[in-house]
Amino acid sequence: MAISVDTPEVSARLCRKAGLTYTFLSDPKEDVLRQYDLVHAKGGPGGTDISRPAEFLVDSTGTVRWVNFTEDIRVRARADEMLAAAREIR
Amino acid sequence: MSPLVLLHFTSMSPQNIRRNKLLWIGLLLTIAAVLSQGLYFTRLPGQHVFPWLNLALAIVAVILLTIGLLRAFRQPDLYRGKISGSISTLLAVVILIFTVTMFVDVRKVPASAGAPKVGQKAPDFMLSDIHGQNVSLSQLLSSPEGGAPPKATLLVFYRGYW
Repeated sequence: MAISVDTPEVSARLCRKAGLTYTFLSDPKEDVLRQYDLVHAKGGPGGTDISRPAEFLVDSTGTVRWVNFTEDIRVRARADEMLAAAREIR
Repeated sequence: MSPLVLLHFTSMSPQNIRRNKLLWIGLLLTIAAVLSQGLYFTRLPGQHVFPWLNLALAIVAVILLTIGLLRAFRQPDLYRGKISGSISTLLAVVILIFTVTMFVDVRKVPASAGAPKVGQKAPDFMLSDIHGQNVSLSQLLSSPEGGAPPKATLLVFYRGYW
């Protein structure tokens, strides 16, 4: 599941273009970003607030099992890292 | 022309001036430094090393080019490359400045000390999906209609503006 400050319309366009079928949620008011302490103030184009990149693997009880916070926005978690973390959960 | 003058003339001919290899290696490293900026778009492992590789290539390129350029100016009878060396060095310096600026800029991410940690509960929330439907985290973690509950859900927070 993916979350950003993009509106549902923008996310819908992205899903269509990239052929993505998983859930995309919109947080333009930054409510969840504040809740998760992920607001990157003025990090977006034109000094807008955006989310810092972050990944959380949450198990079915709602417990966080794996997290990834990059120090460099160019460096992201790779699919194999996330899949390896998911395999740890039984 | 006397033989002596002729001899002197021959010794100064371009054949006797060595190729300034440092300038060539420096230029190659400058190109490698530019190309290494594209590593993030590959699926290669070791992504966390790439920013340091970008920096290292640009720094080594500038050092080699500077040494090569100094040789060209201080020993022009031995090494060529005053003009090409100056251009290459200037280019490498510009790329180094760009790399350093980028390196500093992309690391200005908040610390997120208050973010949920491993072992903690992920706070529940409800947001709109692309169809305008409200979806909550607990909903995503519970059983879909008629299906088995998922083992886990991956929350990917991304910068947006795609």
